This record gives sequence, structure tokens and C-alpha cells, in this order.
Amino acid sequence: MIPHRPMFWHIEYVWLFYVLAAVAGGLFLAGVAAHVWVWKRAARYFRIPFSQKAVKKTLVDALLGRRVFQGNMAAGAMHFLLFWGFLVLFIGTLLLAAHHYVHPFLIGSLYLGFSMAMEIGGAMLMLGLLWAIFRRYIQRIPRLETTKEDALVVAWLVLVVLSGFVVEGLRMAFQHPQWGGWSFVGNCIGNLLTISASESLYPYLWWVHTLLALGFIAVIPFTKLFHLIGAPASLYVQNTPKTPLAPEDETVETLDLADLVFFDACMRCGRCVEVCPSAGVGEPFAPRDFVQAMRLRLWMEYSPFGDVRFLSRGHEKKMAERIWYCTTCRACLEVCPIYGATFEAIRKMRAVAIEEGTQVPQILIQTLDKLYRYNNPWEASKKKRAAWAKELDLVDLTKTEKETELCYFVGCTTSFDTRAQEIARSFSWILQKAGINFGILGKKEPCCGDIARRVGEIGLFHEQVDACLKLFSNYGIEHVVTSSPHCFHTFQNEYPEAPFKARHYTQVLHDLIVQRKMEFEKKLEVTVTYHDPCYLGRYNRIFDEPREVIRAIPGIRLVEMAHHGPDSLCCGGGGGRMWQEDLDGETKMSEIRIKEAHATGAQILITACPLCLIMLEDARKTSGLEEELRVMDLNELVAEAMGKGNNI
Amino acid sequence: MNIVVCIKQVPEVTDAELEITKDGTDIDKEDLEMSINEWDNYAVEEAVRIKEAHGGKVTVVTLGDEDAEDVLRRALAMGADEAILIDEEDFEGSDAVGIAKGLYAAVKDLDFDLLFTGVQSSDDAWGQVGLLMAEWLELPFASLAVKIELGQGKALVQRELEANTLEQVELPLPAAVTIQTGINEPRYVSIMGIRKVRNIEIQQRTAGDLGLSDMEIGEQGSHVAQRRLSLPEEGEGAEILTGSLDEICERAAQIIRDRGGVA
Repeated sequence: MIPHRPMFWHIEYVWLFYVLAAVAGGLFLAGVAAHVWVWKRAARYFRIPFSQKAVKKTLVDALLGRRVFQGNMAAGAMHFLLFWGFLVLFIGTLLLAAHHYVHPFLIGSLYLGFSMAMEIGGAMLMLGLLWAIFRRYIQRIPRLETTKEDALVVAWLVLVVLSGFVVEGLRMAFQHPQWGGWSFVGNCIGNLLTISASESLYPYLWWVHTLLALGFIAVIPFTKLFHLIGAPASLYVQNTPKTPLAPEDETVETLDLADLVFFDACMRCGRCVEVCPSAGVGEPFAPRDFVQAMRLRLWMEYSPFGDVRFLSRGHEKKMAERIWYCTTCRACLEVCPIYGATFEAIRKMRAVAIEEGTQVPQILIQTLDKLYRYNNPWEASKKKRAAWAKELDLVDLTKTEKETELCYFVGCTTSFDTRAQEIARSFSWILQKAGINFGILGKKEPCCGDIARRVGEIGLFHEQVDACLKLFSNYGIEHVVTSSPHCFHTFQNEYPEAPFKARHYTQVLHDLIVQRKMEFEKKLEVTVTYHDPCYLGRYNRIFDEPREVIRAIPGIRLVEMAHHGPDSLCCGGGGGRMWQEDLDGETKMSEIRIKEAHATGAQILITACPLCLIMLEDARKTSGLEEELRVMDLNELVAEAMGKGNNI
Repeated sequence: MNIVVCIKQVPEVTDAELEITKDGTDIDKEDLEMSINEWDNYAVEEAVRIKEAHGGKVTVVTLGDEDAEDVLRRALAMGADEAILIDEEDFEGSDAVGIAKGLYAAVKDLDFDLLFTGVQSSDDAWGQVGLLMAEWLELPFASLAVKIELGQGKALVQRELEANTLEQVELPLPAAVTIQTGINEPRYVSIMGIRKVRNIEIQQRTAGDLGLSDMEIGEQGSHVAQRRLSLPEEGEGAEILTGSLDEICERAAQIIRDRGGVA
């Protein structure tokens, strides 16, 4: 006898199966359509550009589960089993349908291969499910939630797979085909059963399995399982080029398609919570909570039926006041399997809050007032901006006809904060010593717009952009170097077609070393560790330059902290948090960081950002590490090795 | 519920280094940033909140030069509906009474239920304008309001008195109230918010339009003349530390230790 599988064996009322299948399929399609409809209504732009790069990335990320494996093999393996188990069974079912309705081809050895593949698929799915249950309920991994939805989804799937195998076993027990060994799981179960029991039980269990499986398909869009559709959609959309906003549209930013797909695709895996520095110190914010709150809010606003997820987590009432906690450190994007940029969505929601006005924290209002009136968030004075350079002989580009090759854009914090001013003094000294022809903008230097942008003051940001561009063009400035990674990032990535080239000082120092324009006079026999500023590292992928500069200094030993490079921990000063101290809780992010630096045994913690410098310097004092650890800017270290001062 | 709010533009002096003008009657405002008087900001916010809850419209009035348009635009961005700018030209040298006359003349024919002013202005701090207007308009009046509730044809106003005591008074409408800081949390006014109201017309008035003669306002119409303004002199026991930051800190720490500030 040729190996094959009889279809609808022992089943009556086959028409009922078709009706139920149609209902399930209809519900599934309706659910998916509802999502697309909500996205279309809520998105500022609903355009899905074709991009070969995005297709490739989606396929690779989805099929291999690359982002799920990243940094978490156990979770990756679980996802791999579930994904491939599910996919094999899904494709197998399609093939079986084709075999039945189109042309019978699953016979003979092809059938045996098919049988075995389905068996392996089911086993993988089951194994993946058991692993998932183990991780969530026995191992109790903190980032995994245990809501009703989480329990229902996994239990339902277990029942589908289990009933499938039992039904198969019943059939095997009765038929005992000689090729049964190919369906090894079903065969094992079959061997445990008697023929008479299987014959009477089979039709009932077949219907149970069918109902569970069809029901499962129907609930996909109405639970977190929507990520089956949403995740690949998010992978694709996040990797297509963003629709550039027309100037008149840039005034109020609203969510775009990529954000919306991301909110709906989120599986609540909690990787973002694990890396979020704000959540890490126990502040009442976590990216996942924000994403869930946004998802719910959008459904309540744009769908006439409200939220379609019948087991939703419910309302996050306080999200409006919690959006100010995010430091925009970008750590969540590093780990999100579907490239969800929560901090970008936060920025957009802040813009909405700023325009509305009534939910802006008072302390932030004061900072913004200062920023508007005095062009800096620190002091009610424009004049004092150049005070740090008083005793230095520097060229003021706004007062000279002299040609210079480089404009040193000092930035607000470096100009006004007494600790951060050391960055400017050291860097100017280094440039002078290296014979670089450069100048500063003195008290006419404006704010680059970083803070306004980060806290959502779009109108002010654009005024500051215009003011900067005008000033640069008035004085013919084409090359700019910044103290702050924040100014650098804003110039580099957020100015519309900037007609000037911006670099961060670490890049300039690196160039000076490569071009041998810098000479170290001193051997520094110290151990140091380097803290990656978010806007230099994660945002602009400048990880190596500062480290190479450090290593070039004779005698120095560089050790790494547990978190470094793309995993670096935020100092807590970004995203406007520097000026909102009242959001700080009992523990500060900077204190966590300074302890990690201390644990390396290094004597000096080096950083390359004025905000990090201030935050870490403060944390050093509040953590009682004043005697054991020093915090220095890279410029200070380099200047020291070049012979300025005698502090090490 | 229609509300009129009188507001004023004042110089920001909190962190500024103040200088007295040569004739000694005023501070040099040349390099100072101007903004809305703090009390008035609370008054506008309170008016807008009442409007948002009960409907009606909010009209803001100021007396100042053309730059004072900024505070009117700001109030419009907060949610006010109309704005009136009284040209300060003929009011030069006016005392609080002169200013109040100008505002009174602009307001008296408007249809309103509540008249708000700040308790005082941060620059001259006479604290008279609200009271004077209430008197001339023959309106019931409450000062130092820290809470306002509206009932049928009346307003329940909580007044802030000494030593944290509160007094609740009931005023039949229309009424005049001066607003104390802290009555609410004024909303943020964004740059775009201000841009959005740039096309709202601001009604211009001169002293002439308002039927005020030179005898009533300006120096001639004032009872009080400003004679001299001076910065406080360094008194006994005060010491201003100079030098680098480190030296200043060192010296300050020394003083605290010497006087037994830390054990």
C-alpha cells in the first residue's frame, strides 16, 4: 500500500468544518483589517515605500529571529522553536489543502517526508511552548509579565498542539499503518491506546482539535499574538526610508506609520524594561508601559469599537506625566526585536504636551523660558556665555576678519557650568598646542536646539536652527567641532541639509593623533575606564575613536565596565532630564554608573560629554567615592598627557 | 462667563545685574528681557480655566508701548480671545492712579462678569490698580485670591491672609478680584502657540480715544511723583566675597565654621 493520509477520516458533517473555518478566517481577516484601518486613520502619512533592503532585513530578522537571539540565546532558541514549529505546521496545512483540493501529490515517499516534517514541527512547537512556560512561570524572568493574556495564549497553543497529537495517535491506533514510524509522536501515543477506544473517541477529539485550532486563528489579531503579523510588518516599515516631512508639516509632529505598527506589534517581551535606565532605578516609567498605553490610547481614539484586545492590560492613567522621565538614551532600540524607537514616540508625545501646555512640569517651563529668552538653559544671561574664555587668547569669529579652518562650538552647558568649562579650556589648549587655526563664537554663540527638540518644543527648535544657520552663514563657517555629543548629533542628524560639517571633539582628537599633530610629553601610569555618552555611542556609533585616543597616551591602561559600547548605561542627563532634578528618585542613574566604574578598579572615569561629566561628578560625591575615583573629560586627560598642568 | 484681565509687561530682574539710569528715577531696562508680570500670568491662567469650564470669552488689556504686544499675544496663546493695547505715550509719569484710569476707561464699557488683575506688579508694586478699578466700576472686590469657585450669579473667593489662614468671601457677579500667585499652575506657552495667534487683531487705544485728558493722567494727573531710585547699600555685617570660585567657597566655608555653623 502506498503511504498516504485519508482526509476527513471518520468525520461527519464536513460542511460544518467549512463553515467554522470560514468564520475563523473571516474573524482573522477582519481583525487584521481593523488594525490597518486604525493605522491609516491615526498616521500622519500612510505610505509604504518599496525597499529591497527592508525586504531583505525583514526576511533575515524574521526567519532567523536574529534580533531575538541577540544577547539572549535562551529566548532566541525558544522563539526559534515556536516560530519554525508554527511555520512548518502552517505550510504543511497549506500543502495538505492543496493536496486535497488541487492535485493529490502527498503520496508515497513525499508523504512520508511530509509526515515527518509535520511531526518535527509539532514537536518543536511543543518544546518551545514548554520552554516558554518554564521561563515565564517557573524561572520567573523578571522582564516577562504574567497577565491573563499571557496565560491564555500559551495555554491555548499547548492545547492545540496536544490535541493534534492525540488525534493523530487515535488514528494511528486504529489504522496501524506500516509507515507509522514516520509519525513518531503520534505513533507513540497510538501504541498506548486500544482500537475500540480510539474509534469512538476519534471524531470527538477531532472536533475539539479543529475548534481549538480555528479559534486560535480567529483570536490572533485580538491578542498579543497579533505580533505574528505586526512584527514582520514593523521590521519592514522600520527599515524603509522615513517619509521626509515638508517644512510646513514639521510644526506639529504626530505619530507616523512606523510608530503605530510598532505599538501594535509589541509582544511585551520587556527587553526594553530590562535596559531602560529610568526603569532600572525604580522610576515610574518603562518603555513597554508607554507603548502599551499608546496602543490603547490610539485604539480608543481611532476605532469605533474601542480596543479590540479583549485581554488588554487596562489603562495607564498617569502616562501623560511620565513621558518626561525618558532620557532618550536609545538603549531600548538597541534591544527591541522589532526596532521600536520608543524615545522617538515619546518625543512626539512631548511635542503634543508642549503645544497643549497644561501638563508641562513647572520646572521644565522655567528652563524653556530661560532657553527662549537667554538662549541657554542655565543662566539668565547672554553675556556670561564667553566668560570661560576670558583669560585665554582665542579668536572670536564674530569679531574678526581672519580666516580660520575650524569653528569650536562650545555649547550651552560647557559655556556656563563651572565644571564643564574645563572641557572648553582643555580642548582649546590642545587645539592651540597642535597649531590648529580655530575660533569660537563668543557670546553670540546660540543654542544648537538639542534641548528644545528633546523636550518637544518644536517651534523653539526651529527658531534656534534658523538662528544657528544664519550665524554660520554670516561668518562663513563650514567646519564645526562641538564639545557636546548632543550638539553634534543635532547638527549632524537633525538640521535640514546643514551647509556645514559637524564633528565631535573626539573625532578631531583622533584625527590629530592619526596626523601626528599631537605630542604626548608625559607617561600617565594610571588605569582608566571609559563611559560612552549615549549621543556619541548609540546614536552616532562613535565607540572606537575615544578609546583609540586613550590608548595612544603612553603608560595608560584602559579597562571596560560591564556595560560599555552599545550597552553603555545612561548618566541620566539626556532628554532634558539635566534640568528636571525633581524627577530623580532615591537612586540616581549616575550613581549606578559610577559604582560600575568603581568596580573596574580604575582610578579615573573618562567621558566625552559635558552632561555625563556633571552627572558623574555629582554621583561620585553622593556615592562617597571622592577619594577613590576621579571623573575627567577626555580633553582633560589628553591635555594632561600633553603637559598641561600636573594633576595626575 | 466673560472675564477681563488686566496685565502688564515688566522687566525680568531675578538674575539680572541692575543699574540705575543717569537721572536716577528708574532702572536701566536697555539690556533687560521683558515678560509678563508674574501675578498677571496666574490671572490669565485662572480666567482661561474658568472659560474652559463655563464658556464665555476672555479679554486681556494692557497699557504699554508697542513691545507690550508680546504679553498680549502670549495671553492669546494661553486661550484669551481678545486683546486691547492702550498706548502708554500720554501716560508717561503716571502713578498707579493714572494707570488705573487708563485701564478703567478701556474696560468700563465692556460686557464682563469678572475683572481680574494680579495682586501687584513686580516692578512698581503699588498693588492699587485692581482696587481702584473696582471702586470706580462700583464692583464688589476681593484681593489676594487663591481659589475661585463659581455659583449661581456669585463667586466664592478664598483669600490668603496672614499665617496661612484663609478667608472665604462670597461676591455677587459682576465682581473684581486680584489674583495671588499659586492659585494655579500656569500652562506653558509654546513658540508655535504664539505663532498661531499672530493674526488675531489687537485693538489699539490711545488716551485720546478713551477720552482722557492730560490733566487726568501722566505727570500732571498724578498725585505721586517718582523722585529717586537707589540700590540698597551694603549694610553692617554684610560681606561680598570676591575672587575665584575656589577662593569664594573656601572663604564661605571658613566663615560658616568660624561662626559655629557646622560643629
